[in-house]
Amino acid sequence: MFDLLPHLLNGLVLGLLLALIALGFMLIVGLMEQINLAHGSLFALGAYFALVLTGPKPPLPDALAAAWLQFPLGARYAMALVIAPCLAGIVGMAVEICMRRTYGKDPLYGLLLTFGVALVLEEVIRLAWGTRDHVLPVPQAMSGGFIFADLIWSTYRFYAAAMAAAVIGIVWLVIEKTPYGAMIKAGAHDSEMVRALGINLSKLRLGVFVFGTMLAALAGIIIAPIWGIRPHMGVDAVVPAFLIIVLGGIGSFWGAVAASLLVGLAVGLSGAYASEWSLLSMYLLLVAVVSIRARGLFGKKSLLEA
Amino acid sequence: MTGTPSTARLITPTMLGAWLLLATVPLWINAVGLYPYIGVEILVWSIYALAFNLVLGTSGLPSFGHGALFGVGAYAFGLTQFNVAANLWICLLGAALAGAVAALIIGFFISHRRGIYFALMTIAFGQIFWTISVKSHSITGGEDGLLNILRLPVDLGVVSFDITDNTSLYYFVLAMFAVATVLLWRLVNSPYGRILAAIRQSETRTAHLGYNVWLYKLSVIVISGAFSGFAGGLFAMAQRSAFPDVMNLAQSGLVVMMTLVGGGLVSFWGPVIGVIVFLISRDVIGAWTSAWMLYFGAMFVLLVLFRPEGIAGAYKLALERWKVRGASSSALGSASRSG
Repeated sequence: MFDLLPHLLNGLVLGLLLALIALGFMLIVGLMEQINLAHGSLFALGAYFALVLTGPKPPLPDALAAAWLQFPLGARYAMALVIAPCLAGIVGMAVEICMRRTYGKDPLYGLLLTFGVALVLEEVIRLAWGTRDHVLPVPQAMSGGFIFADLIWSTYRFYAAAMAAAVIGIVWLVIEKTPYGAMIKAGAHDSEMVRALGINLSKLRLGVFVFGTMLAALAGIIIAPIWGIRPHMGVDAVVPAFLIIVLGGIGSFWGAVAASLLVGLAVGLSGAYASEWSLLSMYLLLVAVVSIRARGLFGKKSLLEA
Repeated sequence: MTGTPSTARLITPTMLGAWLLLATVPLWINAVGLYPYIGVEILVWSIYALAFNLVLGTSGLPSFGHGALFGVGAYAFGLTQFNVAANLWICLLGAALAGAVAALIIGFFISHRRGIYFALMTIAFGQIFWTISVKSHSITGGEDGLLNILRLPVDLGVVSFDITDNTSLYYFVLAMFAVATVLLWRLVNSPYGRILAAIRQSETRTAHLGYNVWLYKLSVIVISGAFSGFAGGLFAMAQRSAFPDVMNLAQSGLVVMMTLVGGGLVSFWGPVIGVIVFLISRDVIGAWTSAWMLYFGAMFVLLVLFRPEGIAGAYKLALERWKVRGASSSALGSASRSG
């Protein structure tokens, strides 16, 4: 049993990180009934923005750049956690405004639009930052490793997991404890009625899309030091997010979190026995669960199926 | 309005015209700065896109994992050649069968699904097949691919043609394309095709009319899989190898994109138009800038926003407007004459 502990812990950490990627995606699917295939590109964009902000040459006027570089890396990293998602949020805002034309049509069009956006963003990233791999520097206090039970553990992984857990908690608070959360949930349930009650649905949708985008970018920054930064990183991240949403049930917060942890554990534990095939385990898990429970773990009947 | 409507014919004038036009391609393709191999690519991808459109355009099922079926066909072509018999027909049959079997397995899990759930499940299955093909080094060669696939001679019993050069391969693939278009056209315009169209419009209503929707969806996925696998086999033969990258999500998305750019939702020939536009712009814009996907992607975004029915849809719209204008001006003319 003790041999499995590292794999179990790695699985849990992976699960938390996957949950972070999946939550923004889930909010957008849940409220707007749109699959945002650009989620992965926005995830990557967040990481690249953070790379620029923490890097040695920020694209600012010289005086500003000098002032910015005076901050220690830790402070710049902390500020990047806030600024980069905001920048990605602006991109997300532009996407949502384009997407308005597809509302009320087949959800296929929204999916295709975001697929096109994903292609464009990936190429923009290639043009701006090249195809090579980058490394996002992390503050001294968070990097390095420590030895526990005769094994070397990466410190940053645990910081990342803690940040992920904190963000998940904040998202839960927003959804469950604020009037905005109530509006979002009501909008997912019956958008006509929400509009009839005098809530500006198009503003709400814009807000949710930007919020989802910011979560994606934040996930990108938190995960970048572990997975590395490359133009293709978005696709690697977004596919598990799709699986998690189906596995957990569309529109279910705890479903998404539970499914993420389950997927993380499945990948982590199968990595203990057959590391080559560990990625396959999450797909098999999905097929197994969905064959028995058609709407995922916590899914309810959704308008999306009609 | 005499004669049989074009939907009931085995071979339509459009079809014949398309074949004849395509048959002249090797004569002028070098003159316009392209090369015969792109013709082979266009035909192979056209068969694939037409097969895909059976699922998307005809039945309204958004599949984002069709690359798996294409890729399975490509591998099956190579593996049949190495392990069973190096005969072109047996290998192509193997490719089509493999595509159909893969589609049957996928279809069992997704045929009761609709809309976004269907799309997400096809993504999952596409990734499953992709992961397997990347990781099974001993069978598929992993990332390195399955190499040394031969372009086998076309053995017709009495005569046998060699198709190792690109022009003769082009004519062989054109013959296969012609057969595929006839079969798919018949299928789309058969009573079976009507029921698929009914499923696209309303699955619930079709079910209430007494049709077994699940079986129809499963069967159309399998048929599409067989044609996709067949196209994959041709593709493996054309590029003399099979690689896992045709199976990944981005490549599966490309066939969706080609089908929609051309106008697969409103026209049988839409996917073919889309493939031609896509592959030629890949070569033309690609020769000019390596970031060609940026421009094509931006074009695609604009198309989805402003002309969601694609090139064929835009053409139909223009034709209708032109007719309306013609009709209104002649109406004006007759009014002035009577006045």
